[in-house]
Amino acid sequence: MEKKLSQMKYEEKGRIKKIDQSLRTQIAGMGIREGKEVEMMTKQPIKGPVVVNVDRSNTSIGLGLADKILVEVEG
Amino acid sequence: MRKILLMGQANVGKSVIFNRLAGAHVTESNYSGTTVDFAKGRMRLDHEDVEIIDVPGTFSLEPKDRAEKVAVKMLDEEKDVLVVCIIDSSKIERGLYLALEIIEKGYPVVIALNMWDVANGGNIKINAKKLEQILGVPVVPTVATRGEGLKELVLKMKKTAPAEIEKIMEKVGMKSGTHN
Repeated sequence: MEKKLSQMKYEEKGRIKKIDQSLRTQIAGMGIREGKEVEMMTKQPIKGPVVVNVDRSNTSIGLGLADKILVEVEG
Repeated sequence: MRKILLMGQANVGKSVIFNRLAGAHVTESNYSGTTVDFAKGRMRLDHEDVEIIDVPGTFSLEPKDRAEKVAVKMLDEEKDVLVVCIIDSSKIERGLYLALEIIEKGYPVVIALNMWDVANGGNIKINAKKLEQILGVPVVPTVATRGEGLKELVLKMKKTAPAEIEKIMEKVGMKSGTHN
């Protein structure tokens, strides 16, 4: 199933399927690219950032960015 | 005076390496027009005094905030510099992204694979020699907090030269112009 990174639930795992062209260079330096496995660690309230685990390290991403990243999740 | 820029992402140990290399010869500076501080120091390299600068952490060379802007501006303004790119070995992929960006700009680079002990403890195996062959720049494993690898890092600083990004791409089997 495909969903936005911002829609992933706590502890949900998935693989990054598509990243909007507009932010590709912006987040590549954070180790986030298509094909990478991600796990949702925390979501902050009031439109706060999401924290995902990529390559065993936690990275926080603004909700606006997370909206533009598509993830394939299991189930 | 020749300059050495210490660059890397946030929390990779740039300042620890800086303090080890510069010792007591440190002055704090405020980069004009911003509130971002960086530190300058001096060290001896090849019987010569060189200036060593602790650049604010940046994820990439496309700045996203003021600290990153300072980092990128410092690199752009200095043409005759040596860059020591510090990478957290346990997060090597994203560190290499920045390293490749700096190499692509044509600067002579030495890579410090810092927190080598943390990577090994987490069962991450890195073939530094192979990486060195692929990138064409010196790659030195370090544990800055214990001072390990820093002597070799300084030795390698004397020997580095700019590498060609096209050659790196050939070695990993990419054609020029196909990367993004």
